[in-house]
Amino acid sequence: MIEHILSILIFFPLVAGVLGFMVNKDSIRAYGIAVSGIEFALSLLLWYVFDTANGGFQFTELMPLIPAFGINYQLGIDGISLFIVIMSTLITFLGILSLTEKRDIKNLIITLLALEMTMVGVFVSLDAILFYVFWELSLVPMLYIIGAWGGPKRIYASVKFFLYTFTCSLVMLVGMIFMAYLYQQATGQWSFSITEWYRVVLPMNLQMWLFAAFFLGFAIKVPMFPFHTWLPYAHGQAPTIGSVILAAVLLKMGTYGFVRLSLPLFPDATVWFIPVVVTLALIMIVYTAMVANAQKDIKQVIAYSSVSHMGVIILGTFALNIEGISGSVFLMLGHGIVSGALFLLVGVIYDRRHTKIMTEFGGLASIMPAYATIFGIMMMASVGLPLTINFVGEFLSLMGIFKVAPMYALVGGLAIIVGAIYMLSAFKKVFFGNVTNPENEKLKDVNRTELYGLIPLTIIAIWLGIYPKPILDPIDAAVRENVLNIMYQKIQTDMGTEAARELITDPYAKKPEIVIPAPTKKHATQSHKSEGGHH
Amino acid sequence: MEMFVYIALFAPLVGSLTAGLFGAQKKSLMVGVFASGMLFTSFIASLLLLVQVLQGHTFHVEMMTWIKTGDFNVPFGFVVNEVSVTMMMVVTTVSTVVHVYAIGYMDHDKSFNRFFAYLSAFVFSMMILVMSDNLLGLFIGWEGVGVCSWLLIGFWYHKESATWAANEAFIMNRIADLAMLVGIFTLYWNLGTISYEGIFATVGTADHGMLVTAAAFLFVGAMGKSAQFPLHTWLADAMEGPTPVSALIHAATMVTAGVYLVVRMNPLYDLVPEVGIVIASLGAFVAMFAATMALVNRDMKRIIAYSTLSQLGYMFVAAGLGAYWVALFHLMAHAFFKALLFLGAGNVMHAMSDELDPFKMGGLGKPMMWTFIMMTLASIALAGFFPLAGFFSKDLILEVAFVGGHPILYTVLLLTAGLTAFYSFRLVFLIFTGEERYKLFGFHPHEAYKYMLIAMSPLLVLAIITGFTFKGGYYEMVTALLPAGEYHIHNPIVYWIMTIGTQLFVGAAVLYAWIKYKNAKVDKKVEAGFFYQLLFNQYYIPKIYDEVFSKPYAELSKMCWKLDNTVVDATVDGIAHVFYGTAEKTHTMQDGNLSSMLRWMVIGLVALIVTAVIFIGITVNADAIMKLLGH
Repeated sequence: MIEHILSILIFFPLVAGVLGFMVNKDSIRAYGIAVSGIEFALSLLLWYVFDTANGGFQFTELMPLIPAFGINYQLGIDGISLFIVIMSTLITFLGILSLTEKRDIKNLIITLLALEMTMVGVFVSLDAILFYVFWELSLVPMLYIIGAWGGPKRIYASVKFFLYTFTCSLVMLVGMIFMAYLYQQATGQWSFSITEWYRVVLPMNLQMWLFAAFFLGFAIKVPMFPFHTWLPYAHGQAPTIGSVILAAVLLKMGTYGFVRLSLPLFPDATVWFIPVVVTLALIMIVYTAMVANAQKDIKQVIAYSSVSHMGVIILGTFALNIEGISGSVFLMLGHGIVSGALFLLVGVIYDRRHTKIMTEFGGLASIMPAYATIFGIMMMASVGLPLTINFVGEFLSLMGIFKVAPMYALVGGLAIIVGAIYMLSAFKKVFFGNVTNPENEKLKDVNRTELYGLIPLTIIAIWLGIYPKPILDPIDAAVRENVLNIMYQKIQTDMGTEAARELITDPYAKKPEIVIPAPTKKHATQSHKSEGGHH
Repeated sequence: MEMFVYIALFAPLVGSLTAGLFGAQKKSLMVGVFASGMLFTSFIASLLLLVQVLQGHTFHVEMMTWIKTGDFNVPFGFVVNEVSVTMMMVVTTVSTVVHVYAIGYMDHDKSFNRFFAYLSAFVFSMMILVMSDNLLGLFIGWEGVGVCSWLLIGFWYHKESATWAANEAFIMNRIADLAMLVGIFTLYWNLGTISYEGIFATVGTADHGMLVTAAAFLFVGAMGKSAQFPLHTWLADAMEGPTPVSALIHAATMVTAGVYLVVRMNPLYDLVPEVGIVIASLGAFVAMFAATMALVNRDMKRIIAYSTLSQLGYMFVAAGLGAYWVALFHLMAHAFFKALLFLGAGNVMHAMSDELDPFKMGGLGKPMMWTFIMMTLASIALAGFFPLAGFFSKDLILEVAFVGGHPILYTVLLLTAGLTAFYSFRLVFLIFTGEERYKLFGFHPHEAYKYMLIAMSPLLVLAIITGFTFKGGYYEMVTALLPAGEYHIHNPIVYWIMTIGTQLFVGAAVLYAWIKYKNAKVDKKVEAGFFYQLLFNQYYIPKIYDEVFSKPYAELSKMCWKLDNTVVDATVDGIAHVFYGTAEKTHTMQDGNLSSMLRWMVIGLVALIVTAVIFIGITVNADAIMKLLGH
């Protein structure tokens, strides 16, 4: 059974969700908690049986679906996808556990389970068509969640979300079909298998076109500047649970796509596009942080801050060294935990006051001390305080991009300043000062249901900040094997460009460990240093 | 002995977490006592370690891996050596005193427990900062003390000015922290390591330009934490926090972290004297710049804060000129007498219902004799009179500048010494002597609780004896790690002229302060003058920052938001509208009328056929066409 654990992980929530229609309305909550709890436990089991030292794909499953076109049901997991899957199941579980929504809860829980299936599906698929199917399917439950449980402008927001992402994903699909066609031209057989594609070395001009096509699909999902405007609407209208999952998991599909597909498939194009992508990411970091600073609605602050943080993830990914990519994958997890928690926290006051405008609050620290404490911790995690989860990823990402060009790190590093500005001023508006609004005087502190979601996230945010090793090690192995090694091998062929060879080094090269300093003090080591690099 | 390293480090954390558990509950004296006890434990452990270090042992423990990926590997590692143990002693001594004192000072505060949770957390962060064996570990403490400082400045969070100052401090420090991160990145990618040991082993053979970059960026980081110009405005505003916080964080420990960083990285800074001279020059400038602002200020705590800033400048002069042990020695001496001065100011504030303007006090020496004595002695130490601590540590910095051949730095520092004596005693005279002006304002001052005074006494003793008892032994110990240098002026005549001359000059400054302020007379004409206003308004720098940075940033933020709505998003919607509009117009084609639809079908068919014919024509006759085009 264990060899089919990935299939079980995908389809268990779906089957359970369908069965959920037969469950009594009063017990659907317990049912939802049980199902998502089992799913989460299964994902933990997957971690337990996962060989963390192995950087390759594990628990692979292969079953032909449409052999004529090389479309297979191919699954597999490595250190990169493993933890994103665990995060998806965790966030879903905690989301359902701390659900305070009252309206039509049965359909909501079933929708969430369906959404869980698509999320897990995206991250474990090793077939492009399968990946694409789950990718697009994930839009449907989210569309429904925003459209049915959202705020007053929910229809506009959900349609915008759907059409925008869907349209650009179609471009990605064209790219995928073209890639399979190229494979067919070279080998005589169609294949959509990502692991097969990893073996294909493409000439530069084709890489460029394909990179661009994939980029459009991923960039909108991330969402990268200037494709980000659907996100504030979606967050603004979505119910708390929708925002939590959207920010924590759905956005990660985009950055995951870069790491899983763009980088290893098109290494030279990736290097060529670095200035473009990094510039967009830098704009994204600073510009959206400033937009966040101008918001009056606390949920919009968090929404824009999400975009800003995703910019740092992009920086790490396009650093194209182990430190940067591992850091960016780790930051995906960190951002998932922290932004998920922040959206849950915003939901707490929205439930009580039905407003998210910051000037309506003020002085909450004395009325809701526990709430203020958790919010404070999560805020500090969000601004990347050392010993919280986000610091590890942010530090590594910035350090990685520093190697590409110090200027990128300097500008990208502004994230830690501008992030502190909007976060601290938002915190000040909501929690500090005197209680001026009489409506706030009687507010109740966080209740038990809310704590079910918040406490575990707080613990994780600190635990992984202090001890990231159990997660960073497998990520490191996978980044070497499934990203950088593939890129490195490809650029060593005749097709590889000089620029790429300069930037991407052999991930398995051993660094000399013992260095004996030269006897004379200055200028003796220029040559020594360059030899110390990678061969 | 490794056990003691962990005890020294983690005892404050235990105290903090315990106090945090009771954070939201009613005041409990036990919380304060327990936290202080934990601090005392940490102090004892540090003392035992100091004894070991004096015997020539050093300790290096690695607790566990922290971040490891690629070639990057940073553990939680801690070092107790001659330099870090100095800081451990300073931190634990001052913080134990401040904790005990705060039990009395925060007596009436409803957030008593929360206060101790924050204060002990600060000490823990500070211990990480000084004990860590690598730069990233230092950065944990660096940011940790930043957060604790944020929490403590804004401790009375209902006050707008307090929360504003807290945010200002945090954000300004963050600016410097970015520079520090860049410094760390530079060192990592060039040397392949960020542990002190690794850096020191490879730094001698590294590229000089790279070292200059790294040293400069690390120093910018230090400038933020040590509030050097132009990142200095937060320190004076930080006085919004409770006074024990000012004593511990914003005088004795956290703000000296920048000096500590330069001292700790001495093998790096030794190789880049050009950066060192910039550090020293900036230090001398800040020493004078801050002292001038202290001359006219009317806020007791701010005066002491500017004095701190000025003394930090002195330390940077020493560190920049390569006299690391002198910088560290002054850091230590300064911690003792400055903390004492602040705690004394706390007593005064308690007595005066939190009044801060010394012009509303006067004659407090009578009801508050002990505070008067302590603050006077602390001021004597600060002014650098023989034989108190400041004489030994501060005059040494003057000698360093003189011996090093930097007459300008020396002159600036000497003048600043006069200013220091003037503003310190202006404060003492205004508060404690002369007419009892407080009666006009209806205050009923009283001396602080006895145990608060007793708690302060160790600092008093240290402020007096640090100079003449520790200097020799300290030099012996710390130069095992830091470059030795006696900085003696060999010509005895010059030496005596200088020493006595400095003493006379400083004495004259005190005398001038007495003449000027014994009656607390205010000269209206001087006050209206340009220079007075310039100094009183802190050279208008806070205002300039507000106009040049804060407001434009807020405006720009709003503009960005507008841009986001009106340009970026409107483009997306515009594209969608084009499709939608086209569909709106064309859907009338499908009106269900058979004849009109047949007509459209015919048009479509014709269009298709025409296109097909053209394309087939092109492909079939491609060669002919090419020939025609001349290929």
